[in-house]
Amino acid sequence: MSEKQLLIYFLSQFDLAPNKVEEILNGLNGNFTFSALSKLKLDKIVSAVMAEKILERAEERYAKIYLENLEAIQIKLICKYDEDFPKKLLAIDDGPFFLFYKGDISLANLKSVAIVGTRLPSNYGRMITEKFAKTLANAGLVIISGLAYGIDSIAHRQALNQNGKTIAVLGSGLNNIYPADHSDLAREIAEKGLLISEYCPSAKATRYSFPTRNRIIAGLCDGVLITEAGIKSGTLYTRDYALDYGKEMFAVPGNIDSDKSALPNEIICSGQGMGVRSAEDILKVLHVENVAKKEKKKVQSLTIDEQAIYSQLADGAKSLEELEKNCNMSMSDLNSCLTMLELRGIISRMPGGVFCLC
Amino acid sequence: MLAKVVSFGLKGVDGYKVDIETDVSNGLPRFEIVGLADTAIKEAKERVRSGIKNSAFEYPTKRITVNLAPADMKKEGAIYDLGIAVGILSCNFDYGIKREKEFAYIGELSFDGSVKKVKGVLPLLISARKLGFKKFIIPKENLIEASFITGIEVYGVQSLIETVKFLTGEINIEPVKPCKFEEISSKQVYSLDFSHVKGQKQAKRALEIAAAGGHNLLMIGPPGSGKSMLAKCFPSILPDMTFEEALEVTKIHSIAGELDLKKGIVCTRPFRSPHHTASTVSLTGGGSNSKPGEISLAHNGVLFLDEFPEYSRQTIETLRQPLEDGVITVARSNATITYPANFMLIASMNPCPCGNYGSKDRECKCSPSQINKYLSKLSGPIMDRIDIHIEVDNVTYEQLKSQSEEESSAEIKKRVDKARERQLERFKNDKNYSNAKMSAVQTKKYCKLDEAGEELLKNAFERLKLSARAHDRLLRVARTIADLEGKESIEAKHIAEAISYRTLDRKYF
Repeated sequence: MSEKQLLIYFLSQFDLAPNKVEEILNGLNGNFTFSALSKLKLDKIVSAVMAEKILERAEERYAKIYLENLEAIQIKLICKYDEDFPKKLLAIDDGPFFLFYKGDISLANLKSVAIVGTRLPSNYGRMITEKFAKTLANAGLVIISGLAYGIDSIAHRQALNQNGKTIAVLGSGLNNIYPADHSDLAREIAEKGLLISEYCPSAKATRYSFPTRNRIIAGLCDGVLITEAGIKSGTLYTRDYALDYGKEMFAVPGNIDSDKSALPNEIICSGQGMGVRSAEDILKVLHVENVAKKEKKKVQSLTIDEQAIYSQLADGAKSLEELEKNCNMSMSDLNSCLTMLELRGIISRMPGGVFCLC
Repeated sequence: MLAKVVSFGLKGVDGYKVDIETDVSNGLPRFEIVGLADTAIKEAKERVRSGIKNSAFEYPTKRITVNLAPADMKKEGAIYDLGIAVGILSCNFDYGIKREKEFAYIGELSFDGSVKKVKGVLPLLISARKLGFKKFIIPKENLIEASFITGIEVYGVQSLIETVKFLTGEINIEPVKPCKFEEISSKQVYSLDFSHVKGQKQAKRALEIAAAGGHNLLMIGPPGSGKSMLAKCFPSILPDMTFEEALEVTKIHSIAGELDLKKGIVCTRPFRSPHHTASTVSLTGGGSNSKPGEISLAHNGVLFLDEFPEYSRQTIETLRQPLEDGVITVARSNATITYPANFMLIASMNPCPCGNYGSKDRECKCSPSQINKYLSKLSGPIMDRIDIHIEVDNVTYEQLKSQSEEESSAEIKKRVDKARERQLERFKNDKNYSNAKMSAVQTKKYCKLDEAGEELLKNAFERLKLSARAHDRLLRVARTIADLEGKESIEAKHIAEAISYRTLDRKYF
C-alpha cells in the first residue's frame, strides 16, 4: 500500500465530513505524506481539538495499526478513489468519502429499491411492506433500508427470506449496531448481503447521524418506496434527498385518516412520487421483469377448510374471531389450519391475532 | 403444685407437641412464662388472669411459672391461653379437675372468660393425630373446620367455665360429628361461569387446554378486553378437588386465617390475584412470623397475576422455583419453612405500555424501544415456564349484545375431566399428575410424533424462528390437545394448534 493510500485511509478514523477530508487532501498539494500532513495548518480546516487529535496520530505506524485493527474485526474500508466504490454514490454531490462495510460491496452497483418508513407500522403497513419486499426481492432487485425497527427490518427480513439481496445502511458504526436488538439481523445481512456505514466502527448513533445516513440510502438506490410514514418522520429526509438526486419515488396509498399513511398520501397528492398498488407498478417503472408467478398452484393444493380460510383472507386481513365466525370452524381446527397455512408461507400472522395473505 | 397439659404449636404447615407445665408455688405473687414465647404469648398473662377472675374462679396469689416445652422452639400466637388457664386451675384441688391430662387444648381466652377462635386448627389437629393424640378441646367457632378429620374426638367449648365443668364431669359435651366432604363439595358453585363471557373463543379454547394439562398461560391484550374476567372464570373448569387436596388447601388457609369458619373447609379451587404492588414476601410467604404467601394460598388452584410486567422484577423471578417444584422454601433467621405452592399461573399483560399495539381500532403511541423495555421485564426463564401465550382482542358491541348461547363451564369441565383421566392413567407409575409437569425423559417417552408431525415441527422452527426452549413446551401442549380429543398419538394438527399458542416467541419488530 502506498503512503498516499495509507494517508487517505488514515483520515477515515476521525469521522470527518466528506468536504473536510477533501479540503485536507487538497491542502497537501499533491504531497501525500504524513510529514506534509503534520506541517499542514489543520486548525484552519477542522476544529482545534480535532486538529490536535489528527496530528497526535499522524504517523505511518499508527495508520498501519489502525488498518490492521479494522482487518481484525473483519470490517473493510473503501474510499471515493477506489475502484469498487459504489458508482451511484459518486454521482451525488454530498456523497460519503469513506465507507466501512461488511459483505459484498458489488451489490451497491446493482439495481435497487430502498424501502423505508415508520418504525411502528400498522398491520396494514406491515402486510404491504412484506408483500412489496417479497416480490421486489424475487424479481432480483436489491432491497436497501436502514436496519431500524418497523418497516426497515421487515423489508430486510423479507429479502433474506426470499434469498434475495439486501443492503443495510447504518447510522452508527458497524461495531455498534443500533438498535442492538437487530444485531442478529445485521449479522445475517453481513453474511448474505451488505452492511454499510459511513461512520468508523465504534461510532455511536446520534440524532444527527440518521438524516445523513438517509442520504446514502437515497443515493444508493434507483427508487425509493415509502409504505407507511408519519408526516414528521425521519423518512422525510430520505424523500427529500431522493427527490434531490432525481431518484424514482414510490408511495403506497393508505387511508386518508391514518397518521401513518400521511407521508405517502402527501407524496402522491403533491405529485412528488407515484402511487403504487403493487410491486409490479415499481418493476414496470424500473424496467425489471417479474419472474415469480406461482401463486395459483398453491391454492389448488389446499384442503377444503384451508380454501375457506384462503377465500376469506382474499377479501383482506381478518382477525381470528372474524375467521371463526365466517368459516364456521371450531377454534381448534381453525388454529391448526392457520398454522399450517402460515408454515407453507401462504398467510402471515400479525400482532393482535390478525391474519392476511402473503 | 405442678400441672402438665398438652397443646400444639405450628411450624410451617405442620404442628408439633407443646407441653404446658404450670408451677404454682409460694412466694411473691408473680406470673412468668418461659420457653421462647413471643409477645402475644407473654401477654397471655393478662388474658389468663382476667379470664380466670371474670369466670368467678380464684386467681392464686402465688408465684406462677409456666413453661412451654420444647424450650428451643419459638412459639407464637394466643393459642396456648386455654391450656395455661386450665393448667393454673388444675393446680387448685378445690375445683376438682381430674381429666385435664386426657385432652390437648387449643384456644385463645378473652377477658370475660370466653374462648375465642384461633388460626391453624386444621393443620394442628392433623399433625396431632399423626402423633397419636385422640382428644381435643378447641374453640367452638373452629369446630366445623375440625369436623373433617376422622379418627379423633374434638370437643368445642365457648368459655373457660364450660371447659372446667366438662373436665370435672359436671356437664357432658358431645364430640363433633364428622362431616362428609363429598356432601359439601358437591354443593359448591363458582360464582362466575364461562357462559357469562361473550365471544373470546380463542381464549376459551386456550384456557380449556391449560386446565386440561395444567399448563401455565399468559394472555396478551389491550385494556378492557376481558382478560381478568376470563381468568376469574378459569377455576370453574378445573377438575374438582379431591379430599386430600382440599385438606392441603384448607391447612394453608387456616394458618393464614383466611378460612371461612362457617364452611370449615375450602372445597373450591382457590383463585388468588395479588395486586402488582405486592411485595415479594407477601407473594412467597415468610416474614418475621412466617406466614404462607399468596402463591401458597393459591396451592392447588390458580394464581392470577394481572399486568404481569408491572410486578417488580424480583417478585417475578421468585416464582421460578415454585413453578418448577410446586413448593416454596423460605429461610428466615428463626426457621426454614417449606410451604406447598403447586399452583397454575395465569398471567395477563398489555401488548405495550399504552396497551393498543396491534389493536384494530386504536393507535399505539409507544416507541419500539418502550415496547421492548416493557416486554423485556419478562425474563427468558420465566417465559420458559409459561406454555401457552395467546392474544386477546376487544369484544365488539355486536358480540356483547348477541343472544347466541355460550358454552357453560360445566360442559367444558366435562372435557377437561376426561383429558385429566387419561393423564392419570398415563402417569399412574410416575410421580406426576399432568402433562405440563412432564420431565424431559417423559416428554420423549409420551410425546412421540409421526413423520408428518416431525416435518411440521422442523418447518415451524425454521420459518417462525421459534426458540429452542419452545420445543418441549410445544410437545407437552400438543399432548394435552391430543388428550382432549381422546387420541393416543399426537398428530400433525395437534402440533399445528400448539404452535399457534406461542405468540411471544415470534419477533414482531
